[in-house]
Amino acid sequence: MRRGRLIALLAITCAFLLPLGWTALASVGVLPDNSSQPPSWTGRVTLEHYAEIGLAEPAFWQELATSTAAAVLAACLTVAVSLPAAFGLARSRIRGGRTLTQGFLVLASLPVMAYVIPLSDLSRRLHLIDTFAGVTLAEAAVTAPLAVFVLHGAVAQLSTEWEEAAVIDGAGLTRILTRVVMPLIAPSVVATLVVLFVLDWNMLLVPLVLTSGEVKTIPVGMSDFFTFERELEWPVAAAALMVSLAPLAVLVGLFHRVLERFALLAPAGRDIG
Amino acid sequence: MRLTRRDRLVLFAPLAVLLGGWLVVPALIGLGATLTTYSPLTTTVTFAGLQNYGNVVHDPQFAEATRNVLIFTFLAVPLELVLGFCLAYLLRRPVWGRSWWRGLLLLPWLVSPIASGVMWHFLFSGATGIVDFAQGWLGRPELASPVGDVRLALPATILIEVWRVTPFATFLLLPGLASIPEERWEQATLAGASWFRRIVDVAIPEVSPLLLTVGMLLTGLSLGTFDTVLILTGGGPGTATLTPALYSYGRAFVTNDWPLGAASAWLIAAGVAAVGAVYIRLSSRRSH
Repeated sequence: MRRGRLIALLAITCAFLLPLGWTALASVGVLPDNSSQPPSWTGRVTLEHYAEIGLAEPAFWQELATSTAAAVLAACLTVAVSLPAAFGLARSRIRGGRTLTQGFLVLASLPVMAYVIPLSDLSRRLHLIDTFAGVTLAEAAVTAPLAVFVLHGAVAQLSTEWEEAAVIDGAGLTRILTRVVMPLIAPSVVATLVVLFVLDWNMLLVPLVLTSGEVKTIPVGMSDFFTFERELEWPVAAAALMVSLAPLAVLVGLFHRVLERFALLAPAGRDIG
Repeated sequence: MRLTRRDRLVLFAPLAVLLGGWLVVPALIGLGATLTTYSPLTTTVTFAGLQNYGNVVHDPQFAEATRNVLIFTFLAVPLELVLGFCLAYLLRRPVWGRSWWRGLLLLPWLVSPIASGVMWHFLFSGATGIVDFAQGWLGRPELASPVGDVRLALPATILIEVWRVTPFATFLLLPGLASIPEERWEQATLAGASWFRRIVDVAIPEVSPLLLTVGMLLTGLSLGTFDTVLILTGGGPGTATLTPALYSYGRAFVTNDWPLGAASAWLIAAGVAAVGAVYIRLSSRRSH
């Protein structure tokens, strides 16, 4: 039974990773030769395609830096504003609190396209278009509803006795949040940060619409490769893809133990009132 | 602790500012603007009533896009949920190197939709492709890329999205499956339940609220499918893979038909809101 499960896992994992393995091979210059019979492999292992990324898209490394900075700042900002709200939602008995929490999930599943058109117009009028701050703030806002829902689940599971004890000791709201609640749900907070980083890093529509070339992130750069009829060669595209995937893979590898704390716990109980 | 009114204000204000300024207010201004002839470039704005929405609904391209996205959602979301559930079920109990399997299986979701489009573009095309390689081994002739074929483009796009999103579904479902108490499984096993009955009688009832939640999230995101098709097909061939989000984008930013773009975007929002209402209804019925 256990061995069967292991074999099934191995087979499925291989199937899911096959396209990525193919891409990884292409990025180091190992390409299929489909014209021979039967098909074989050609090329020797080289890292030169990674160097060619900079030639094909001169701004690539700049884009990588922008993506990193925007995703880090947006993820931190999102958690900073979502955690207090999640705590407030979990601890106050407001009428319709449960529906409100579920409303955040509905908001999280609302496609960015639904509101990005007027957002771009508003940003232009507020001179936030083509600014790093504009992109970061918008990315933070897009992912905030999901963070509120997940952190709400983490806080709601927490026993209130720690907070009660802190209140007796005379701790204020800020102190309770940063010294009591934060440490207790730290794994959930870290898991949320990692997921938010992934979402922000991969977001296309927000940076695409809120900038016109001044501030570029990796997905926008990648979409440029193709829309301007300067189609990239496959090995170079594969290398760019590997570079854009690597930070996320490293993050998941580092935090794989806490990632299971990213849980979509449905709000318990019924609405009061 | 008991929160005072002031506490609540302090706790909710930052989120309210961020969501209000960058999501709610633009969305509402946008909604108001869709009832007029407003566009960033025009100087005179007149009231247009529901004219913009009428134009969108009567546009055959938008009808095509809606049809595509509905097929897309009805096929992709159940597939993602079922496959995601099966994978999470395999990972439920401790297995050798479990957390590493989990990490590895999340990799496809880490590929951005844009990068996934770029990658599959090459995997599908002849000289560099994985499809032709396999075909060659089987001794079959070369295959044209399915994304260039009117009939195969949509199914191929669906498969690509299933490849990318299933790992995310597994990731979200696993905590729920792993938290089912061990006694529940033992009881079922002692009662002689087959693995199938264990899934139907133990696993599904325990995780059904979570399945509903994940289903809602994936449905909403699927209705807004945009970057997956932008590079891979650009909506084509013809309108075979056009989605409403791609339509809105094209109208607002490519052909500068702002009112049409904004109105069609609001129709996507309305669709997601309807799905969200069903979700809230279903999940509150469960807890009664």
